[in-house]
Amino acid sequence: MANGSSAKWDTFQGKEERNAASGITVRSVLDEIMENLNPSDQRVVVPLGHGDPSAFPCFRTTDVAEDAIVHAVRSAKFNCYAPPVGIEPARRSIAEHLSCDLPYKLSPDDVYLTAGANHAIEVLITALARPGANILAPRPGYPLYEARAAFSNLEVRHFDLISEKGWEVDLDSVEALANDKTIAMVIINPGNPCGNILTFNHMKKIAETARKLGILVIADEVYDHLAFGSNPFVPMGVFGSITPVLTLGSISKRWIVPGWRLGWIVTADPSGILQKSWIVESLKSYLKITADPTTFVQGALPQIIKETTEDFFLKITNMLREAADMCYDGLKEIHCITCPHKPEGSMSTMVKLNLSFLEDISDDMDFCIKLAKEESVIVLPGFAVGLKNWLRITFAVEPSMLEDALGRIKTFYLRHAKKQ
Amino acid sequence: MENGTAAEKWRFRGNEVLNTASAITIRGVLNEVMDNIEESGPRPIIPLGHGDPSAFPCFRTAQIAEEAIVDAVRSAQFNGYASTVGIPPARSAIADYLSKDLPYKLSPDDIYLTIGCTQAIEAILTVLARPNANILLPRPGFPFYEARAAYSHLKVRHFDLLPEKGWEVDLDAVEALADENTVAMAIINPGNPCGNVFKYQHLKKVAATARKLGILVIADEVYDHLTFGSSPFVPMGVFGNIVPVITVGSISKRWIVPGWRLGWLATNDQNGILQKYGIVDCIKGFLNITSDPATFIQGALPQILGKTGDDFFSKIVNILREVADICYDRIEEIPCITCPSKPEGSLFVMVKLNLALLENIKDDIDFCVKLAKEESVVILPGVAVGLKNWLRITFAIEPSSLEEGLGRIKAFSLRHAKKQ
Repeated sequence: MANGSSAKWDTFQGKEERNAASGITVRSVLDEIMENLNPSDQRVVVPLGHGDPSAFPCFRTTDVAEDAIVHAVRSAKFNCYAPPVGIEPARRSIAEHLSCDLPYKLSPDDVYLTAGANHAIEVLITALARPGANILAPRPGYPLYEARAAFSNLEVRHFDLISEKGWEVDLDSVEALANDKTIAMVIINPGNPCGNILTFNHMKKIAETARKLGILVIADEVYDHLAFGSNPFVPMGVFGSITPVLTLGSISKRWIVPGWRLGWIVTADPSGILQKSWIVESLKSYLKITADPTTFVQGALPQIIKETTEDFFLKITNMLREAADMCYDGLKEIHCITCPHKPEGSMSTMVKLNLSFLEDISDDMDFCIKLAKEESVIVLPGFAVGLKNWLRITFAVEPSMLEDALGRIKTFYLRHAKKQ
Repeated sequence: MENGTAAEKWRFRGNEVLNTASAITIRGVLNEVMDNIEESGPRPIIPLGHGDPSAFPCFRTAQIAEEAIVDAVRSAQFNGYASTVGIPPARSAIADYLSKDLPYKLSPDDIYLTIGCTQAIEAILTVLARPNANILLPRPGFPFYEARAAYSHLKVRHFDLLPEKGWEVDLDAVEALADENTVAMAIINPGNPCGNVFKYQHLKKVAATARKLGILVIADEVYDHLTFGSSPFVPMGVFGNIVPVITVGSISKRWIVPGWRLGWLATNDQNGILQKYGIVDCIKGFLNITSDPATFIQGALPQILGKTGDDFFSKIVNILREVADICYDRIEEIPCITCPSKPEGSLFVMVKLNLALLENIKDDIDFCVKLAKEESVVILPGVAVGLKNWLRITFAIEPSSLEEGLGRIKAFSLRHAKKQ
């Protein structure tokens, strides 16, 4: 068969920038590390790299949620297309649910349903991106913001989270970074990857800083209410009248169902500034041409939110507290690792790697690859979230596995410790 | 000061490109038409404008599909994140399903799971978009292609489908339109909006033309197997050894579950051209930074694709045949409407409006608006799909409702007939 015309196919060369943009995602880095697992190691692989405890029986979601899905499917009422913004009962139930923690009432029209919080990030970045504009994102942070911003040609500038101050936002650096093209800043609270909870006063200062700079706040609250230390979770929307807030959330973390792909964007903006500046219009426009969450999962949402008991939530936060404590205590015995701030929320903690204590480990990725190979434990190298030579360790796993893993990490450390 | 100079002070603005890109969607045009409905009963609204029969009991999905979802949810095995290309059992199930109608076997690696066929379209258009590139789209067509192309800055050129030839592709037009920047052509088979089914010989010519031009074929087969006339459904992948074919499809139409948001993109490319030119890597890159279909629906897929009985498929096809006949026969009785080609597949038929036979109706939009107002019947003006002064009529509703609706259209046309 003639191949002579094969040179013509190169008109559809794949786009190089696209590949670069997706280069760093948590999943892709973990995939690379996992390629180094030793197949002849009989021990179970302990995954402390990702943020998904759903595989562990102790973290199984509540029956209420499963029942709600089954009920919605069997009703045959939700097999249809949904409106791009989401179905009314789902929007209403999220508005009511979130309003419980706010000093004002959200309207169902403030709620936009997305296929998970990752999709909410995609929609927001797409809607906000304009030529020459930039956003401020935390370091360490969540790399999907950077990936989606690169894809939309939106510049990202990074402000630091201060490890010595419980990973608070370095507000001086925020002010220094912002210019007249800055349109928004991102905060992630409860913190991923750091496991911190921002205090009320600090969040108020963030809002005031944003207002001074004329920018909105993107509040990534995907781990909302997963707070088990002394600081309570405060939604950024509380400060929505100081500066407009776009809140992202989902059922993925609190209900341990990341595979259900149901998230939301909420405009927490009692002064209606987002409407006036056409942000709301852009959001709605993009929602018309982007993917939607499954209609019957939307249909199940009111039942999920209404009927899930406090017992379930308490069970989850208690398990996370125990795991966080075990992790923090266990890491104290591993001298090449320092944990600057005991985790008090979300599912992971950020720890510093002291390479000078180690022989022949060149950096965080090298540590993680060798750890996977020698001990079948997966942790995330900090470069993937913006802090080279740190590590993100997820503690949200079955307790006995966590204990086992901490033991193996200690063994690994001793094996590679620099001889005195 | 609370508000002050709010408009100038805030640095964020909406994204104008989005507003333009999403301007014409079928839903948008239908909403505008429906805004004119005045009656509030007791006569029911007859919806002949949509593409979603799931609300009608006679079109309810197969019980086995509902049960597959319930089983997947209750198993608690699918609450976690999926791999971005899709979970292996789902990829295998789709590869097997599609391979049944191909002269070769697709590999699971050729299959990428997406949030409905919509996201599969988004994926391929995004991947192909490069500065100055253009794609060839059918007219009439499905406006989502234009919307996503506009958003990705991918230029569009339209070739005609020929009503006098059963809506075949005007291949001379395709050759005339293509230039060195053309990267692909799209065909929709079975046809939306025309209701045609392309013949084997014609598809082979399409493949040969695409090969000659060095472009790939996007085969939108979302209505696969929904054929009820004399032409059988032939998947474009049959010609995957002549030209690379990207098939996009989903369970939405054949199983009548558009709300489940489960689709796929399949690479039919026996000569490995898509891999060689980086298209496959770009597809994976796109999927890495976008959201995924719900994991448990992926988990249910083997059961849905493998266990749905032929009796369900036959039932649906028989209903479609019945309603397509009703539609075609009744349209013959309406002088101002001509149907050039009896529908053989999908859920729709394209009919020409003879304005010369009508009084005070200035175009297709005016016809539809007045029809909605006077008769509470909703049909889609052809301008929404690229053919002004034509109409797209959906026949996929309860047969008795269809009779009622067509009766009202006849009454409307008599009332507005030009006096002789």
